[in-house]
Amino acid sequence: MMLKVTQKCVGRIMFYKLGCQLAALLLYVCATVQPSYADEAVDLIKAAINYWRDVSSYSVVDMTIHRPDWQRTMTLRVWTRGEKRSLVRVTAPAKDAGNGTLLVDNKMWTFSPKINRVIRIPSSMMYQSWMGSDFSNNDVARSDDLVYQYTHKLIGTENREGRKVFVVESVPFDSAPVVWGKEVIKIRDDYVMLEHAFYDQDMVLVKKMVTLEVKEMGGKQIAKLERMQKMDKPDEWTQILVIEARFGINMPATTFTLSNLRNPRQ
Amino acid sequence: MSALNLGLLYTLAWRNVWRNRRRTLVILLAIALGIWSMVTLAALMRGMIEQQVLNTIKNLTGHIQVHAMGYRDDPAIDNSMPPPGAAILEAVRTEDVRAWAARVRVPAVVASERESAGVTLVGIDPEAEQGLSFIADAVTEGRRLESAADHGLLLGRKLAERLETRLGKRVVLMSQDIDNDIADRGFRVVGIFDADMEATETGYVFVGSTIAQDMLKLGDRVSQLALVVDDRDNLDAVLQRLTDAAPGLDVQPWTKLEPMLVLIVKMYDGFMMIWFVVVFLAMSFGLVNTLLMAVFERTREIGLFQALGMRPRLMLGQVLLESLTLLMIGVVVGNVCAWATIASLDEGLNLSAFAQGFELYGLSSIIYPLVTASDVLTANLVIIVLGLIASLYPAWHAARYVPVEAITRT
Repeated sequence: MMLKVTQKCVGRIMFYKLGCQLAALLLYVCATVQPSYADEAVDLIKAAINYWRDVSSYSVVDMTIHRPDWQRTMTLRVWTRGEKRSLVRVTAPAKDAGNGTLLVDNKMWTFSPKINRVIRIPSSMMYQSWMGSDFSNNDVARSDDLVYQYTHKLIGTENREGRKVFVVESVPFDSAPVVWGKEVIKIRDDYVMLEHAFYDQDMVLVKKMVTLEVKEMGGKQIAKLERMQKMDKPDEWTQILVIEARFGINMPATTFTLSNLRNPRQ
Repeated sequence: MSALNLGLLYTLAWRNVWRNRRRTLVILLAIALGIWSMVTLAALMRGMIEQQVLNTIKNLTGHIQVHAMGYRDDPAIDNSMPPPGAAILEAVRTEDVRAWAARVRVPAVVASERESAGVTLVGIDPEAEQGLSFIADAVTEGRRLESAADHGLLLGRKLAERLETRLGKRVVLMSQDIDNDIADRGFRVVGIFDADMEATETGYVFVGSTIAQDMLKLGDRVSQLALVVDDRDNLDAVLQRLTDAAPGLDVQPWTKLEPMLVLIVKMYDGFMMIWFVVVFLAMSFGLVNTLLMAVFERTREIGLFQALGMRPRLMLGQVLLESLTLLMIGVVVGNVCAWATIASLDEGLNLSAFAQGFELYGLSSIIYPLVTASDVLTANLVIIVLGLIASLYPAWHAARYVPVEAITRT
């Protein structure tokens, strides 16, 4: 009799335990895994973009445009503040020196000293190439779309040179002004973006931005050398080499204005 | 001239016609060919013009359009207008207006992963477009837009090819919103449409009007109002009503909206008249020659008639009747042949081998001949009346013979 009761109790307890475990597991799956993966991915993307932009930044970069029969390098000075403001000015070669691009709140202007005119880039020109590179005006203007117009998912991690690299897959919303089917972004555990791949809607890789060299500059690790490559044209690419970078610096309020675009004050 | 005389003259004329059978058949063939070419060519040209007009009207033109002042010079978003108010609604919701619709219509850029293209973005209310424009039943792949709030986008087949995209994929539309900021949005391609002209397929993308207004921050403003009536040549009443109902707006009939088209129609009319005259001239020389031959052959006979007391004007009448007989037979044969030709082209004359050149002029590659009573009547009248006038010369010749001279001529 006693034995029977005990057995019954034990059985019940076992069952109870199992139930708890199952419930916990379910809870874990529901509450932790999915949201946390998504959240983690969003946070990663945000962190990477914030890391790259900082509060404000100033940098000097060499942009090299490579084509099968020619190659040219431009030296650019770039100022950014927050998500919405940036100014780019060409300093070399002399032929292009003075050309500038100003971005404020997704509005884009260019200035060319040769014609002494500031031109607001209309929507019809947003898909055209920016300064002849493999970036479109849109690529330059809308880089923060990545945070708000996509659903992000962490799809894996890799190890590279002893560091952890997160692989995030970002799928744009249906109504997002983004033509890609998905984007796959590789972010190192210190938020340096190592790779940004653009897939079309058949999930075929179209172009890829790869970080070729990471180095400490301006007090933190940044992608020193990046290359944008279209997959169907292997001998055409645009490369950006950071020569000098400073972050979190104070900038006069007049930096991101049309008059500064036209008449440089730095 | 009594009935007896006419009967006699007709008998004489009829017999004379068949005296030289081969010559008569040749001139009959010439007349029939002339009439055939006139009627057939006129039908083909009319068909071409009519189709061009219909195409243009269906191609978002309609019979009457209402715009904000300045839109026609600069179809930008700044030249939008408020949605049709009560007065305009009253003016268009009448018996004689077959269909009407308000549209958003602005220039935009559509982009896929690989390409981008400049287009006209048209925001439509799909139900209102029924019977008004081609887009209502042009979707051949996928589905139509279901309502003004449909989130999908319709893309022309040629444009889809050019953008290297297809049904079910997403594209991005980019334009200027009402504050002159960049307005952009992703759309899924829910339908591919076909049009007669390549320019239509590559020139327009269609989205729901509510979505377009939303994207462009237009509120409920629109770019244009288009309507079709029962009879496109009878627009004045509606036009007047609309002009009164929409003060400060630009109300125009299709003839003003498409001046090129009106010009082309006029040009074709001119072509046709020239063709008629050329054909007639070629034919009339043959006719006059035949009759002159007949008159010369019968010099002695005519002299004898006159010696026996036939009046010169009866002589004149005899030759004219001969000419009329020839003309009538030729005209009947020619018209029957033309009718047979046109009937055999009922399915349309397919010129797709030359279609690319045709499209330059806004023509479609298949021509459906169109017979109009006025064209057929003009062709026949030109031949008969001018033919008779031309025959006056040989007839006058015949009537002027001096009997003694004519009889003694060998």
